[in-house]
Amino acid sequence: MAIMVSIPAGVLANQQTANNLATNLSNTITQTGESINQTLTQIDCSLASGLSGFGFNAPNITIGQPGQGSSQGFDPSQFGGGGTPGQFGGGTFGGGQASPMNESLYTDINSTLSGVAAVEPILQASEGSNQTISMMGRSFTSLVTEYTIEGIPLTSDLIDNYNILTTNITAGRNLQAGDSGVVLLSENNSVYFGAGVGDTITILDQTFTVIGIHGTSSVSDTLTLYMNLSDAQAVTNNTGYITSIRVFASSSDVVTQVASSISSLHSELTVTTGQERLSQLESLQSTYNTSLSNAQASVSQTEATAVEEIIVVVAATSLIVLFVMLYTVRERTKEIGTLKAIGFSNLTVMGQFMLEGILLSMIAGVVGIAIGTIAAPTLSSLLLPSINLFGSSSGAVVTRTAGLSSAVTLNPQLILLAFGAAILLGTLGSLYPAWRAAKIRPAEAMKYE
Amino acid sequence: MSKPVLQIEKLSKSYSLGKRNVPALSNLSLTVNAGEFVAIMGPSGSGKTTLLNVIGCIDKPTSGQVLLDGIDVSKLPENQLYKIRRDKMGFVFQTFNLLPYLNARENVELPMEGRIKSKSERKKRASELLALVGLSGREGHRPQRLSAGEQQRVAIARALANNPAIILADEPTGNLDSQNKQEIIKLLANLNLTQGTTIIMVTHDGQAAHHTERMLLLKDGKIIKEKEGTHLMKKNHKCPHCGSSIQMSDDTCHTCKKPIYSSDEPFSA
Repeated sequence: MAIMVSIPAGVLANQQTANNLATNLSNTITQTGESINQTLTQIDCSLASGLSGFGFNAPNITIGQPGQGSSQGFDPSQFGGGGTPGQFGGGTFGGGQASPMNESLYTDINSTLSGVAAVEPILQASEGSNQTISMMGRSFTSLVTEYTIEGIPLTSDLIDNYNILTTNITAGRNLQAGDSGVVLLSENNSVYFGAGVGDTITILDQTFTVIGIHGTSSVSDTLTLYMNLSDAQAVTNNTGYITSIRVFASSSDVVTQVASSISSLHSELTVTTGQERLSQLESLQSTYNTSLSNAQASVSQTEATAVEEIIVVVAATSLIVLFVMLYTVRERTKEIGTLKAIGFSNLTVMGQFMLEGILLSMIAGVVGIAIGTIAAPTLSSLLLPSINLFGSSSGAVVTRTAGLSSAVTLNPQLILLAFGAAILLGTLGSLYPAWRAAKIRPAEAMKYE
Repeated sequence: MSKPVLQIEKLSKSYSLGKRNVPALSNLSLTVNAGEFVAIMGPSGSGKTTLLNVIGCIDKPTSGQVLLDGIDVSKLPENQLYKIRRDKMGFVFQTFNLLPYLNARENVELPMEGRIKSKSERKKRASELLALVGLSGREGHRPQRLSAGEQQRVAIARALANNPAIILADEPTGNLDSQNKQEIIKLLANLNLTQGTTIIMVTHDGQAAHHTERMLLLKDGKIIKEKEGTHLMKKNHKCPHCGSSIQMSDDTCHTCKKPIYSSDEPFSA
């Protein structure tokens, strides 16, 4: 009975986990798509390869590739040497970070190329820490971003004409041209720093005033705090360095042409247009979809196993009741014979033994549910295959906010169901023994041992 | 004057053992009147228990007729027979067969369950019956706390529960020491005398058989001999030896000083 309540509890927890994951992934995909569509004229340039630095390094999702950890910047030893441009020394950071580049080397993009309307140099740096996240009995050590600083040039030309600021302000005000010494926090940042509008926060020994709070407008900004580029460069000890350049083409028709001009001018840069980002999004989406279908396959495998196990348990339970009751009937042949000789009907005798079997199962049910309540997490992890949400090869996607580790708990419906099953199994297992009891000839009472 | 409570006509009963047909009773006829105390004797395998089982409706005859209180029970189906057993029969077993987890009063109440709805009425009647067999004050005791003789008294009280037409006793003294044997047989005789209960008793014990009024010898499924028991004399308050007047409680005749009950085997060859 303990097993009978633990297995469905485990399955429910797995389903919960998979559902959480599915919701998260689909939100992520939608939000990323929206933010890309808004910025079709944008061309992102950076030194990093891969998806990083193109606005895809969603701070709440760290994409880790265990096999390549060090080359992706997961190795804490690479960081924390305060002097290296693009990094700051407080904690471990850098997951998905673009490599820093010297700002002065790229002024020629604006001055020499045609079709370029504006250039926005950006410095992005993340502060994070190693965290152990346990999920369905497995634990992952993963670098988790606490917050990401994004320094953007606060000039009236860029702010007025281009879509460089986040638009979803939930408290206080947005950044303005010429702002310095102020930050715009995300809602998550506000919780992390414990600061609201007007409060002062300290980032690497420098204080900033919180000027406003922004809500989420794309996946990439839930942990991002915005400040003036020069402030960001100063606070992270990266004066003169940036991590990416966002080039605005004069129209969407010339985007491709501008992108190829930038590539030929600076071959070291990875240049990505909105179009390319879309196709990257699609590949990301397919990764997510793989994760999702892995998770679903895992859940359905768990369910199949659970069904098999429950069938075995149910069969075993009925058999146990059957044999116990058969033994009881055999042991009490003389008593049954006596009852029949002194005038008990077959029906009464049968009812008596049915009742006994059902009572037995009910007591077993209560004890089993009590044990199951305590042992459900252990039992279900022992009996069910550990859920593998992400396949085995592609690493782990860990979301911080979703609360993936749904606990294995018993809900009242499950307990009621298990109790109902106990009574049903007791009835089934007692039927034949009770019938046997009813068929005992009263003359058996005359025999003596 | 007294009407027959049991009429057996040309009763035969055979068991099939593999391919062989083993006769247990053959063409047996017997009439027992209300208020009679009958002993059935006979060697092992003579069909005593089979006869008792057929009378008690726990075995069916192969052929012939069994009339119980005027009802032909030989043709009744099981779902009718249990009522006959409950309402017309009282069983006393050699091994007492009390339910170990019920106390004396609850054991006596058992046969009443299907008949008397009121629980307090059942309780009252059970207590009265226990008093009748000399066990008042022992109602709450379970069988394990009662002596063998006391357990058989409880069983007799249980047999009386529904005021049966016949009490069937299968070796009721078989598992008792001589003193308890005496007491149980006197209790049965007394019940027969004072309550007018019809008793049919199967026994090996010649001494016990002398306490009845009619002794039957069964052999090979037939009644081959019949004798008068001493109990009839006692009913008539006459000494079996000298014919002088005796009391129910007497064991020896006051006039001729002979023991009233014989200790001889009644059917010794």
